Amino acid sequence: MPLPTYDAVIIGGGHNGLVSAAYLARAGLRTLVLERRHIVGGAAVTEEVFPGFRYSVASYVVSLLRPEIIRDLDLSRHGFELLPLDGTFTPLEGDHLWRTNDHGRTLRELRRWSAADAEAYEEYGRLMVDMARFIKPVLSLVPPDPGRIDVREWLPLLGLLRDFRDLPQRHQGTFVQLMTMSAVDFLSRWFETDPLIATMAASGIIGTFQGIRSPGTAYVLLHHYMGEIDGAFRAWGIPRGGTGGVSEAIASAARSFGAEIRCAAPVTRILAQGGRATGVVLDSGEEIESRVVLSSADAKVTFLDLLPPGTIDPAMEAAVRRYKFRGSSGKVNLALDALPDFPSLPGPGEHLRGAISISPSVEWMERAYDDAKYGRFSRRPYVDVVIPTLVDPSLAPPGKHVMSCFVQYAPYHLEDGEWDDATREAFGDTVVETLATFAPNLPSLILHRQVLSPKDIEEHFGLTEGNIFQGELSLEQLFWARPVPGWSRYRTPVRNLWLCGSSVHPGGGIMGAPGRIAALEVLRSVRRGRRRGRRGAVA
Amino acid sequence: MIRKDVVVIGAGHNGLVCAAVLARSGLDVLVLERRRRPGGAADTAEIAPGFRGPAAAHTVGRFGTGLYRTLGLADHGLRLIEPSVRAFVPSPDGGSLTLWADPQRTAEELRFRSPGDAAAYPRFDRKLRSLASFVAYLHAMTPPDPTGPSMSDALGGLRLLRGLRRLGGAGNTREVLRVLPMAVADLVKEAFETDVLRGAVAARGVQYTAMGPWSAGTVAVLLSDSVGGGGAAGQSTLAAGGPGALAEALVSAARTAGADIRCDTEVAALMTTGDRITGVAVRAGEEIEARAVVSGADPKSTLLGLVDPAILGPTMGWRASNIRGPGTVAKVNLALDGPPPFSAEVERLRGRVLFTAGIDDLESAFDASKYGRISEAPYLEATIPTLSDPTLAPEGGHVMSVLVQWAPYHLSEGNWDARRDELGDLVLKRIEESVPGISGMVRHRQVLTPLDLERDYGLTEGHPLHAEPGLDQFFAWRPMYGSGRYRLPLRGLYLCGSGAHPGGGITGIPGANAAREVLSDLKGGRLS
Repeated sequence: MPLPTYDAVIIGGGHNGLVSAAYLARAGLRTLVLERRHIVGGAAVTEEVFPGFRYSVASYVVSLLRPEIIRDLDLSRHGFELLPLDGTFTPLEGDHLWRTNDHGRTLRELRRWSAADAEAYEEYGRLMVDMARFIKPVLSLVPPDPGRIDVREWLPLLGLLRDFRDLPQRHQGTFVQLMTMSAVDFLSRWFETDPLIATMAASGIIGTFQGIRSPGTAYVLLHHYMGEIDGAFRAWGIPRGGTGGVSEAIASAARSFGAEIRCAAPVTRILAQGGRATGVVLDSGEEIESRVVLSSADAKVTFLDLLPPGTIDPAMEAAVRRYKFRGSSGKVNLALDALPDFPSLPGPGEHLRGAISISPSVEWMERAYDDAKYGRFSRRPYVDVVIPTLVDPSLAPPGKHVMSCFVQYAPYHLEDGEWDDATREAFGDTVVETLATFAPNLPSLILHRQVLSPKDIEEHFGLTEGNIFQGELSLEQLFWARPVPGWSRYRTPVRNLWLCGSSVHPGGGIMGAPGRIAALEVLRSVRRGRRRGRRGAVA
Repeated sequence: MIRKDVVVIGAGHNGLVCAAVLARSGLDVLVLERRRRPGGAADTAEIAPGFRGPAAAHTVGRFGTGLYRTLGLADHGLRLIEPSVRAFVPSPDGGSLTLWADPQRTAEELRFRSPGDAAAYPRFDRKLRSLASFVAYLHAMTPPDPTGPSMSDALGGLRLLRGLRRLGGAGNTREVLRVLPMAVADLVKEAFETDVLRGAVAARGVQYTAMGPWSAGTVAVLLSDSVGGGGAAGQSTLAAGGPGALAEALVSAARTAGADIRCDTEVAALMTTGDRITGVAVRAGEEIEARAVVSGADPKSTLLGLVDPAILGPTMGWRASNIRGPGTVAKVNLALDGPPPFSAEVERLRGRVLFTAGIDDLESAFDASKYGRISEAPYLEATIPTLSDPTLAPEGGHVMSVLVQWAPYHLSEGNWDARRDELGDLVLKRIEESVPGISGMVRHRQVLTPLDLERDYGLTEGHPLHAEPGLDQFFAWRPMYGSGRYRLPLRGLYLCGSGAHPGGGITGIPGANAAREVLSDLKGGRLS
């Protein structure tokens, strides 16, 4: 039998697929990435949707890209540069709350609201950094299977347990609370300023179908303190050239290690025989054989759409169908003639250079969620706004701006039918009207508007139900239960088929961790196979 | 000064269980109860002249069967009534759903509504029983100490996993870990398509809590409620003579074992030497020395109400004040002139009668409470004990006991004293929708708001479970991290009420587990 052309074929050229490819190619595997669209990047892309205006169409900030990936792949050499995003500005009616990386300034601002909160803010920040340091190793772990007591699987966790023991008891308790409480309950222990709690809590619900008062949303608060870009905790940033810049840098690194990347090459089927993956079939009918296949598509697409029916057993299929997506967010990308003006803090100041968070109160956020629970997009949504042209003017013609608006909630399933052109536009109008209550001149500045409903996100990016994290990051779908209990170790019931996208631990965001860990696991398994091969056993 | 081995604060059912177990081990035990009669929330009270009924809690089916036998409660006069029906859900359009004790019978009736659900129901029932057996295993144990995990504790954790595996194999271990942190709405959605069936099952996951069916962790509450064999339908066991009869049997068992129980005696403060608890001071001024003090009161009122803040210290004080217990439950007790005019036959009404249309109906009722509003269409769980025990009412009369879910303790407008009747009206309106004509039969209506529950039963913020049963106050960290093993942060002070693992409901298990720990400390000389 002729040898397969490739050692590894990777389905999907999103950032995780590219990270996997780079690691595999670096280890000497003949690696091929197959991307459905005409450009790489998946949801981390920059596209010129309107002439002269380049949008980070879907994901829009980077905070959690693993530093080891930046180092291992030498991404700076491949053009990756992160432009810092400073602070969070929360406009209110007649007032505002503005936190920046300038500590003293933030404390002065908080003192304007509550002296106690200003004091608590410092202690809270220190505590969260400690927590983030403790939890960080989890992002690099292969989760054990609780159904199997295999010491090798559990050993890495024992190290974590040792670290836990070394934490002061107060920190231990805080950690338990972080993992179980709602963002609001957790924050309310420290703070009393309502817009502060609302804005901080907002990060807990991004990409999930939960409210800021839903249990299990607090742990995401840690993410803000884990973003360690160039080693600096807490920094958030925008890649030069938009989020597509990250993808292109990783793709360039992968190519430099010898990986091949083919765009406009949609995979329609995974070849599987006798419970073993042997390659893929493209839309064109072309068959590509490979020793291993890695899928960076989500669990549903991989197991239910790409595998021939009957490849996985019914119990596994039921578990995959149970895996929850429930997209809850939309995106509105605006091309602006000039900068918007917020009367609560007038002028084109520095406050526009960071995130602008439409989260004026806990009740506002919670009501936005209430709408979504019953199948309506929020009448007054939470909007996370970034104006990337303020840090990277190359994205728009001189003097013009692009404005990225991440909107929640926009449920994939609407109570009265499907998303169509009319609902999409009504949704876009709602977002603009909401922003206009805080920046009245905004509507008059809009040159172009691109609205993405969860349905659009599904169609454009192949993300089931428009879930930006390839499956909800709810407690029962994390760690050893992601995507399904028993298959959290990047392997699948189909031999030689691996998952390397956000559907596996540690989940979504431009983190690259799933892609990296999956590649390392594949390499370990390949090496083991070789060792066995040398001993003459059948691999 | 009196000297005792152990003083138990509060003669609620957990306090009494704890006292009985300790007294049976030969210890000199004194129980001090603030109210006139023992029982706490397991209370039979006069609702109207001649009408007696369950003032607060109304079913007793979760009481540990092992305890029931060990304490010989049947010999102490307790008679349990176990109806063939578990839950009945009437709807305004005249239809209804019945969950029988026998899951096959339920499935047969479901067939007309949905063949899929009829097939799924017995399967779900078995699954819930099997998952609940895992949880029962956790309930019976004193949680491990997470604060200083050593390698042997880590091995203990693995042993715990192995114990779980023995109960049902790898698949079940994975399943219990998957479902525990889930939202109950998701769990029932995986199983059923009929909304009212989903609602009837899910309601047990949110009852007494400040959560809605879409809140993560409500499956854990459902599973806890299913310990003891409730299955998909839950339990509907009544005590003849009302829940107060359980308290009387426990009192009798405790006294027989030698415990002393004094009512009308409120503990005012805990006495200390250094950080060691040495006894209690009662309101009247008397001081009682004890080697150990066990509190059946909720953890917040125990630590913040009875301990000198200087002894407790600011950090522990802050942590105790952060124990979450937002009460959302009210109680309406109706004295009726005749049998409530349901269109269904009486047999279906002897268990719990639920007023809910399904998941969204539950969730929107919960929504109101988030903003400090009383739900306009609250979820109700009613029992009509007089259908099984006519002695509670005068000839022909009936008692209907209604638990009202979500009436928040913290109102955004007005106060509970001013809004008591409004709540009563809302509840009757909701019942009237499905039981037309009932309002005209109400001879007397008793409304207990969360504020009343706080005042009458000493439940902080009116929370019937002493502390919210969220995942953040669960198992090894109930009621708070570092105090999950029945020992509060002061030496010699223990918690035996619903604020301790495994939490609320009339189970007696916290009381029994706490007694075990007290005994172990006393015998091990750790309290000398």
